[in-house]
Amino acid sequence: MSKNHDTKETSSDLFDAFTEIALRYPERPALFHHGHAVSYRQLRAWAGTLATRLGTRPGVVAVQAAHTPETVVGLLGVLAAGGVYCPVDPAFPLQRRQEMLAAVDCRAMVTAEPETASPLGPVCVALEPLVESVANTARLPVPPAGHIEVGPDEPAYILFTSGSTGRPKPVVTPRRAISATVHSLRELFELTPEDRVLQFASLNWDTCFEEILPTLTTGATLVLDAEAHAGSFPRFLRMVERERITVLDLPTAFWHELVLHLAEDRLALPSCVRLLVIGGEAASPARLADWSGLDTGRIRLLNTYGCTETTLITHAVDLHGPRVPSPGARWDAGARAPIGRALPHVVQRISEQGELLIGGPALALGYLGLPQATEARFPVLDGTRCFRTGDRVSSAPDGVLTHQGRLDHEIKVRGIRVDPAEVEAHIATHPEVTAVAVAGATVAGRSTLVAYVVPRPHTTVGTLDADVLSYLRERVPGHLVPSRITVVPRLELTASGKVDRTASHQRHAAHPQAKGDLR
Amino acid sequence: MSPDSSTATTSPTASPTAEVQDLVAIFCRVLESTDVVADSDFFELGGDSLIATRVLSAIARGHGVELSFEDFVLAPTPEGLAAKIAAGR
Repeated sequence: MSKNHDTKETSSDLFDAFTEIALRYPERPALFHHGHAVSYRQLRAWAGTLATRLGTRPGVVAVQAAHTPETVVGLLGVLAAGGVYCPVDPAFPLQRRQEMLAAVDCRAMVTAEPETASPLGPVCVALEPLVESVANTARLPVPPAGHIEVGPDEPAYILFTSGSTGRPKPVVTPRRAISATVHSLRELFELTPEDRVLQFASLNWDTCFEEILPTLTTGATLVLDAEAHAGSFPRFLRMVERERITVLDLPTAFWHELVLHLAEDRLALPSCVRLLVIGGEAASPARLADWSGLDTGRIRLLNTYGCTETTLITHAVDLHGPRVPSPGARWDAGARAPIGRALPHVVQRISEQGELLIGGPALALGYLGLPQATEARFPVLDGTRCFRTGDRVSSAPDGVLTHQGRLDHEIKVRGIRVDPAEVEAHIATHPEVTAVAVAGATVAGRSTLVAYVVPRPHTTVGTLDADVLSYLRERVPGHLVPSRITVVPRLELTASGKVDRTASHQRHAAHPQAKGDLR
Repeated sequence: MSPDSSTATTSPTASPTAEVQDLVAIFCRVLESTDVVADSDFFELGGDSLIATRVLSAIARGHGVELSFEDFVLAPTPEGLAAKIAAGR
């Protein structure tokens, strides 16, 4: 497939961009993992070896995704082969993983531990350890880019979002979308080869690509460190300082907790940090006020917004730090934080109802195997294909958008979009449950799911809540498991006889912890 | 791990009751709940890994012991964590 050389900067394939950087900076560290550096030359060779093993155009390739260099190699190797990367969290219940792989017709799985993957079905492709792989290739020059011609409309990766049926809903993202977005993000983050970017996000959602791909197409270093996930802020902060991290990309909910910790101890972040990216849910004005009261003026605090279907980030804005109009000003604890303005590659429109619609090269191809759902969420308006985000926004004169709520019933849990109908569908399959309503609530300042279940007649109610919880934990990932299940005699219905989630929650949220704002 | 097997490791020289009471108070504060007792499971009370960081920060401040989230999930009760603190000294 030919490339349009006039727009090479934005349309250059992501793997080619990585290879060009590997040729330019072969000896710079691409990855840094617990004291061990992997150079760009080594990483390119390692990914190339995997691509050769996979063969040309291997289709959908599952990768057991964990915070290791091997996962990054898996991603790059699949892209190099012209395949479709599909991360699978080894911590997910087996049944869920099997459903995910079946939904995308996956035939091959890359794993460093083939024995753990065997019950999943696909053929395992062993990823040889770095030492072995590099011993054979370290002296070879980096192979030139573009050895496999893969078109920009071909799929690059598949990720899963929440669907109302209870089945995983696969979103297919083309190579064009990831290339265009990563190009914008390199500029947004002002990345240079001197940067050291922490790999923090789960490898199973798209936020990790914000960390990995701009870094590896700039010549900067991606740092992987188990201390990032220890759950202890003193240890997290020491690791940031020790590893001289310059860029952090944190889920907003985690940042909220970090700010509470810093504010209580009157600390600041280590001075090496120059950019802190947040995203996933609304930034709390109270935490912003706390943050702006700390010694944080030199750090860019960048709020971001985007959907899986529109590839990583579509909107961003500096909330605090050197790029805001009045640096040093304290944040007003009553002022809602904006989600930002459209990045250069993004086409946006706002409907009469205030819904944000996204067009342009970053659009996903759609939901695999679900043509009706694809048509509903990706309409063609005035000849332009768009994605309906379901988010209501208002726009300021300078083009900065502020989120004003959802147009549907989706809920954000730990920054992940959840359709309560999906959780209801799973709970409804429990043999002792006749009806169920799932709603969003705020518990201890955190968005969470609560479920109300009506037992079958003559069921022993005593342990039903705990039974349903363990039943769910065997079947679905943690973000779909409600933090509270309450057994109730009946649910509230709407005038048309459907379960009214809001009214059911309000009626039965008698427990003090279950009270809170419905979202 | 059951809370009982964790408390078995409590050092006899520590003051487990005071520590357990302090952890009950921390649980109550971060979970905005009054229903916490010595063997209440943090996750069954609606806690999650992020709220757990507040407990870990409070333990680091008040007891000078930096537990990890892994330690936490092995003993997510006031008495279980009191044992972890004693073991971490």
